[in-house]
Amino acid sequence: MEHILSYIVFIPLVGALVVLLTPKAYQHLYKVLAIGFTGLSLLLTLYAVHMFDGGLVPQISGEANLQLVEKVEWFRLSLGSLGTFSVDYLLAADGLNISMLLLASIVLFIGAIVCWKIKEKQKAYFGLYLLLSTSVLGCFVALDFFLFYLFFEFMLLPMYFLVGLWGGPRREYAAIKFFIYTLVGSILILIVMIGLYNSVYDPVKTAELAGINGTELSIEEVQALVAEGRIEEGQLVKSFNMLYMANPANYIPGSLLERSGLSTLFGEPIRWMAFLAIFIGFAIKLPSFPFHTWLPDAHVEAPTPISVVLAGVLLKVGGYGLIRTAFAMFPDAAYHYAWLIGFLGMFSIIYGAMNALAQKDLKKLIAFSSVSHMGFVLLGLAAMTSEGISGAIYQMFSHGLISSMLFLIAGVLYDRTHNRTIEHYGGLAHQMPYYTVFVGIAFFASLGLPGFSGFIAELFVFIGAFKSSAVIGAIPAWMAIVSTLGLVLAAGYYLWTFQKMFLGKFWVKEKNWLPALKDLTIREYMVLVPLVVLIIAFGIYPGLLLNLINTGVESFVGHLTEWSK
Amino acid sequence: MIELDHLIAPEQSEYTLWVVALLTLPLLSGLISAFLKQQAPYGSSFLIGLNLVVAGFLALSLWDEPVSIRGSWFSLAGNDFTYSFFLDRLALAMSVIVNFVALLVHLFSIEYMREDPSKPRYFAYLGLFTFSMMGIVLFHNLLFMFIFWELVGLSSFLLIGFWFEKKSASLAANKAFILNRIGDLGFITGLMILYTQFQTLDLDAVKSLMAISEIEDGNWVVAFKKAGQEVMASLDGRWLSAAGIALFCGAVGKSAQFPLQVWLPDAMEGPTPVSALIHAATMVAAGVFMLARIFVLLDAQALEVVAIVGAVTAFMAAIAALSQFDIKKVLAYSTISQLGYMVLAMGVGAFSAGIFHLITHAFFKAGLFLSAGIIIHQLHHLEKGGQKFDPQDMRVMGGLRRKMPVTFFAFLLCSLALVGLPGFSGFLSKDAILLDLAVWADEKGGGFYIPEVLAFMTVVFTAFYTFRMILLVFFGEFRLAGILGRNQLENELHEGNGWLTVPAVIFALLSLSIPFGFTLNPEDSWLMQALPTPMYVVPVAYAAQSLLDIPHETFEVLHGLVNAVSIGLALAGLVLAYWVYRPGGKLQKSFIEKREPVGVFGQVSFYHWYLNALYEKIILKGILAKARGVAWFDRWIVDEAVNLLARLQVVIAYLTRWFDRVFVDGLVNLTAHSIGKVGQLTRSIQSGNIQAQILVTFIFLLTLILLLVL
Repeated sequence: MEHILSYIVFIPLVGALVVLLTPKAYQHLYKVLAIGFTGLSLLLTLYAVHMFDGGLVPQISGEANLQLVEKVEWFRLSLGSLGTFSVDYLLAADGLNISMLLLASIVLFIGAIVCWKIKEKQKAYFGLYLLLSTSVLGCFVALDFFLFYLFFEFMLLPMYFLVGLWGGPRREYAAIKFFIYTLVGSILILIVMIGLYNSVYDPVKTAELAGINGTELSIEEVQALVAEGRIEEGQLVKSFNMLYMANPANYIPGSLLERSGLSTLFGEPIRWMAFLAIFIGFAIKLPSFPFHTWLPDAHVEAPTPISVVLAGVLLKVGGYGLIRTAFAMFPDAAYHYAWLIGFLGMFSIIYGAMNALAQKDLKKLIAFSSVSHMGFVLLGLAAMTSEGISGAIYQMFSHGLISSMLFLIAGVLYDRTHNRTIEHYGGLAHQMPYYTVFVGIAFFASLGLPGFSGFIAELFVFIGAFKSSAVIGAIPAWMAIVSTLGLVLAAGYYLWTFQKMFLGKFWVKEKNWLPALKDLTIREYMVLVPLVVLIIAFGIYPGLLLNLINTGVESFVGHLTEWSK
Repeated sequence: MIELDHLIAPEQSEYTLWVVALLTLPLLSGLISAFLKQQAPYGSSFLIGLNLVVAGFLALSLWDEPVSIRGSWFSLAGNDFTYSFFLDRLALAMSVIVNFVALLVHLFSIEYMREDPSKPRYFAYLGLFTFSMMGIVLFHNLLFMFIFWELVGLSSFLLIGFWFEKKSASLAANKAFILNRIGDLGFITGLMILYTQFQTLDLDAVKSLMAISEIEDGNWVVAFKKAGQEVMASLDGRWLSAAGIALFCGAVGKSAQFPLQVWLPDAMEGPTPVSALIHAATMVAAGVFMLARIFVLLDAQALEVVAIVGAVTAFMAAIAALSQFDIKKVLAYSTISQLGYMVLAMGVGAFSAGIFHLITHAFFKAGLFLSAGIIIHQLHHLEKGGQKFDPQDMRVMGGLRRKMPVTFFAFLLCSLALVGLPGFSGFLSKDAILLDLAVWADEKGGGFYIPEVLAFMTVVFTAFYTFRMILLVFFGEFRLAGILGRNQLENELHEGNGWLTVPAVIFALLSLSIPFGFTLNPEDSWLMQALPTPMYVVPVAYAAQSLLDIPHETFEVLHGLVNAVSIGLALAGLVLAYWVYRPGGKLQKSFIEKREPVGVFGQVSFYHWYLNALYEKIILKGILAKARGVAWFDRWIVDEAVNLLARLQVVIAYLTRWFDRVFVDGLVNLTAHSIGKVGQLTRSIQSGNIQAQILVTFIFLLTLILLLVL
């Protein structure tokens, strides 16, 4: 399995082509194809995770100890005195992305199963779903910024149509809002990407091209030569490699984003502004306050499987992007702005929870709880400690599973009554006892009860954030303490919702809903049970995930600590 | 220098399997009841009984040589997160008590829940609860204690809301969970502080590292070795006190202490056996148990907070118990008050006395709840023909001793233990607490006499509300007959059967002082001697004065006085209660007639110092209003700003279009237009009119010649 990552990424794309080529007469096969291709991708991911050696310590600012690497030069363009433009097809896994790849494969597969309810325009739907799968998976394993950006941007197109065509009543507004919001973020990222490209060179290729003693020149030697200005710009091979971008030694002296911070704009180093731009770009995706308002609309309007994918994986691209680009490439700026980021995280936790407390629509409540839970990711990242970063990654993984389950649960009710207003139900436990059990599990998992994965994640974030002031001094200890308020608020909004909808005497607003209110079907069990198993497994045996990410996080924190000051 | 890795190195024991069984048998008992359906009560009771045997065996084997078991759960960032069991006398005693009470409550529930169709669910929850409780007891790691702590909260939530079709029950369940969570924020903060300082949450390791901590220039410093490298951890010294107080917050939630105690009276919505097990004997005692576990880590400041909170709680709840109508409410407030005593004991450093009271209270309060359960159960059977009444309301009771003598006997014995009269277990344990408290207050002086005064006043109130309850429930005439207008009703009432009475009587016998030592002096009790007070390990600069350092004579001098005062106060309470609540007594009449007590004192007592009103009407309402405000802000300010931006974009687009049309396009049109005009002009010239052509040619030529010549 030499090209396993490529297979994982592009098998859904092949699926999309197969769906397109399958005549409409066989449209009942589309869902089978979607399940089959995402399932195959999931199987390969599991194999890749099995092959992945969690003991290898990856290099954050170089290619050492990358695993499952696929690297070929995609294209190269000589720009004369401006150097050479080179883009690689680089897919690889390390401790920072392997967990996200796993999460994405799981959620996309479950999402594909949930698609059985789609009845209209099936060909387009399943084609777009598979296309979306490829771009999401690609996003997590592409380590060349150019390639990453392609995948990142390509998510928008299928997402726009999936929400805009198959969504609820206000789907067009929601789709456009989502599209424009994310596009603004993408543009910010694009600008920084171009800036980075202009500042970073590929030491290996430069060594080859410069021809100083052929290829025998080591990376360090090339870096030394460039630093001394003994290699001219025309001889440099500029690079989009995300790992090289994380190494300050690969920045061309005097370039725009060079670490010395000599290039300034309005008296501030451009590096810091670039950091802010790329931070906002990914914070929109995450989303963090105040860039979150696209999320409730998109969630409420999106069909169930798309909500699942949106909450389960798409948001995580934001968090992963922050880790891989903003924090890894600008550790000094990240440290400088850690207070702000931590504050945004803390604020999002409480702000999202307060909003959730006031929602009347079940899906909106879950959407705002996502905002709250993603705040933990920011808080953990801002802490810049091993516990905090592990917590952030664990939270992304755990929230991917739990929010998927929450949206499935909201979908179960919506399918039956086409109504999600909390106050329109009461005492559903009498009518749908097993459904109630699953709702209870999902709610308690989401409010961070021990035994479920969310608890581990939030615990790590808390201790990491508190520890930060004693170890690295990125954020003050009170931020961690204030953030714990989110736990009480989460208990409040979930338990009151549970009590209103499921406990007490049975009551629904419309009498004609009654015949539809049947307990879970076998298909619904098929998606809910595996999620429960996973949420509990990652809750009681954190080693399952930590063994994959530990070395990556260690190395990442070492990188941050080394370059933050 | 201490090596952290040694402190948390794995440890094995030949008893590992037994301990695992002790922990998981209750979980199994819960799981099988889901499959056993109607046989669930017997199956799960059997497994709990089996677990009691395991607990007993371990207690006998390990009483004199505690066993520690440790292993790695997972590792994060080079830090090992361990699990560890520690079976010392405290854990063993608690294991036996928890399983013993759980077994009797299971047996009692077989009869109590016989008619309930959802009893498999009931026994499943009971099993889950016992499992979680055993987790708190057995694990010797703060993180694991916290995990099971929250699971206890979950099972309490499930059991309080067991009859979930009742709105009041589900709301009470929510209240219990949320208020417990507020306390748990403190617990988690404590975990953060200790982890940051010591890089482990293993209690043994934490204690060892705390013992080598020092205070330097107001900083809390500790140096140890980790993976061969020296680690110097330093935090502001105030975090040391903060850690203790934060962890105590967890106990405040779980053990229903001021200001979070309001959930416990509401928790009485659950089935009565549950109240006996969870909300009297075990779960609420978990807070005290946790305090005992972290006792040596508490510094002087934290201990003062603990003591004051305990005294205030004991006093407030005793006042509230004075005027309740609902028999379970009286018992609930009494429980809060007694828990206050235990917490107060921990605060003043009376470790042994606090644990002793925890154990005696577990028995006599469980006995009281089960007896009350029998009364409620038997009264419930009188409901027929659509006649509804509240079987927990003492106004419908009266004279029950005639028809329910066994219940009366059990209730009376347990009550006397609660009041603390000589010969009963409560006397020994309460006496021990009061004595230590008196010594502590004398040592500290000043404002620290206030907790002592509160604690002694509570003795009077305790005697008063206990005797009031007995008089109202068991003496006088059977009032329900009059209320329902069925004169022969008393003859329909009868004693509960053996499933119900035997457990109650067992608890009643355990309320005597004999099982704890044939003595009137608590110091001679074997239990007190078995669980000696440990020494504090916090740095000397912050440590409180240990009671162990105070000469023994001080205690002996005060002992007689404390004894006399507390017995005198208890008797005074009894007499007072008899005087006003005896059949035909002044307050007994008004009690039966009035809906709620009058006067400021009566109101304050009946409404529990208006705490509920404060929390629900002011704080909760405020938070919900704020939440709506935030949602409004999000919808109309943040989101609208985005929409405005989008609209601005549209406006700009329109402006651009206008500009494009009028100016850019206009310019183009103007050009086209003028070209058209020119064309028209020239077309008109080329009209085929020969004269005009000649004229044009002439003009052109003339111009040309002029140009050439000039």
